[in-house]
Amino acid sequence: MNPHSCRYWSEAARSLAVVLVRLRFVLAAAAIFLFLPAGAPAQDAAAFFKQNCSSCHTIGGGRLAGPDLKNVHTRRDRAWLKQYIPNPRAMMDRGDPYALKLLQSAQGVIMPPPQGLTDARLDEILNFIEAESKSGRVWGGGGISDRPYTAADLVTGRGLFTGTTPLSKGGPACISCHTVGTLGGLGGGRLAPFPQYDLTRVYERLGGRKAVGAWLSAPATPTMQALFKNRPIQTDEAFAILATIEDAAANSGEADAVPLLDFFLMGLGGAVLGLVTFGTAWRTRFRSVRGSMVRGELQRGEE
Amino acid sequence: MNTTAANWDQILFVVLPYAVMFVFLLGTIMRYRKAPFTYSSLSSQFLENQQHFWGLVPFHYGIITVLSGHVIAFLIPRQVLLWNSRPLRLYVLEISALIFGLLTLVGLGGCITRRLTVSKIREVTSLLDWHVFALLLVQVASGVYVAVFHPWGSSWFASVLSPYLWSLVKFQPDLGYVAALPFAVKLHIASAYAIIGLAPFTRLVHVLVVPNPYLWRKPQVVRWYRPSRSTPGNS
Repeated sequence: MNPHSCRYWSEAARSLAVVLVRLRFVLAAAAIFLFLPAGAPAQDAAAFFKQNCSSCHTIGGGRLAGPDLKNVHTRRDRAWLKQYIPNPRAMMDRGDPYALKLLQSAQGVIMPPPQGLTDARLDEILNFIEAESKSGRVWGGGGISDRPYTAADLVTGRGLFTGTTPLSKGGPACISCHTVGTLGGLGGGRLAPFPQYDLTRVYERLGGRKAVGAWLSAPATPTMQALFKNRPIQTDEAFAILATIEDAAANSGEADAVPLLDFFLMGLGGAVLGLVTFGTAWRTRFRSVRGSMVRGELQRGEE
Repeated sequence: MNTTAANWDQILFVVLPYAVMFVFLLGTIMRYRKAPFTYSSLSSQFLENQQHFWGLVPFHYGIITVLSGHVIAFLIPRQVLLWNSRPLRLYVLEISALIFGLLTLVGLGGCITRRLTVSKIREVTSLLDWHVFALLLVQVASGVYVAVFHPWGSSWFASVLSPYLWSLVKFQPDLGYVAALPFAVKLHIASAYAIIGLAPFTRLVHVLVVPNPYLWRKPQVVRWYRPSRSTPGNS
């Protein structure tokens, strides 16, 4: 190690430590200010259910990606529900037979635990579901039409999917993170984990138009929640996007890796071209001290 | 998400960015006050100039372009999304970004190879330099991996990471944007924070003293003391 940089390193570290000690009270106050839990924003159980649960569950509206929660309190006791909801995977790992049955009926999709779920909030949600089950009101599952999509729906949906037509509330276009088999070109984005980024077969994973429509209205994943909670996709927009997905399912296979390979090869070709450009632009560059002196001497000798 | 992962996210994407920014600001100011003449890239071009060109030139052209792209998507995300609202424009932007990302990777590979293979250069490379190279390699390689396997970064950076970074700037950190991102993206973000935190103690401080006046200062006349080819014997 270079002795100069070693000495500097130790001096800098010592100086930094001194400053940190001097500022310890200011830093502690800043840390408390920054990292104290801000407290969950006031949100009643109905709003919480709508935002976090209704993408996959209804109360009396039938099955979506997850089961209908009407009268769930009669199927499992509260202690079991309070163990399962915050960490479904742990129950499955322990081999709980009912949790495994739920996993099977959801075609292997494990429920993502809702964000910001405290013990008190969980009780509120379970009380809410129990009360709504008894009242007979239906929660969720509606909104998306059953009619077949038209060519106009498909054009609108493709525009919304690729971003040529912006979503009315300002949410990002699907192509940023997702793809479908009919997109062409270099396809769509692949930010979501495999296979969720490809929406061509999403109906098979989540359980049809109604389930995916409910998901679009109130997405359950943390990233989509953050993106769409204040900019929800409208029902007519969701229908048009679903038309694109249904068209892709009917007319193409799942998106493959060919567009990725094409993309990489284009990038590689461009990089090689860049290196050639650098070499050409600086072909008369100064190459070395001694070499040029020797060449200069030889040249002078010849003259 | 399990509790351990949530805790790690809290540490890496809320605590770490504030900690490294604090260290960066304090460290760079202190170093400039106490040892201003150490603000340098400590160039080794004089010791070896052949491999140097193929490492440094692609690396710097690549990293400056790619970093500028990140900063633009952070500052004006809506305009970036507007540009990307036509798939062809999105593809052109992404291919261009990948080209410069690959140039950065090739250049960094060249720099590391040069430091490893040329004995004179190895001699002037400190342990800290090797740490910087390792971190840069993780950063650039993960960036290229993300660009290729998690497209389209220009769109989802503007949609997801720009609001996350602004939430940090406003002291209202929102982990929702990053909690479910793929591992490679999280690695890319965390190693960027690590580089920022380490920068004040390394030769990376030279990014703060780029000789910008070179761009607008008056030309300097340089006279060489050597025989002219046109008039032999005349010095």
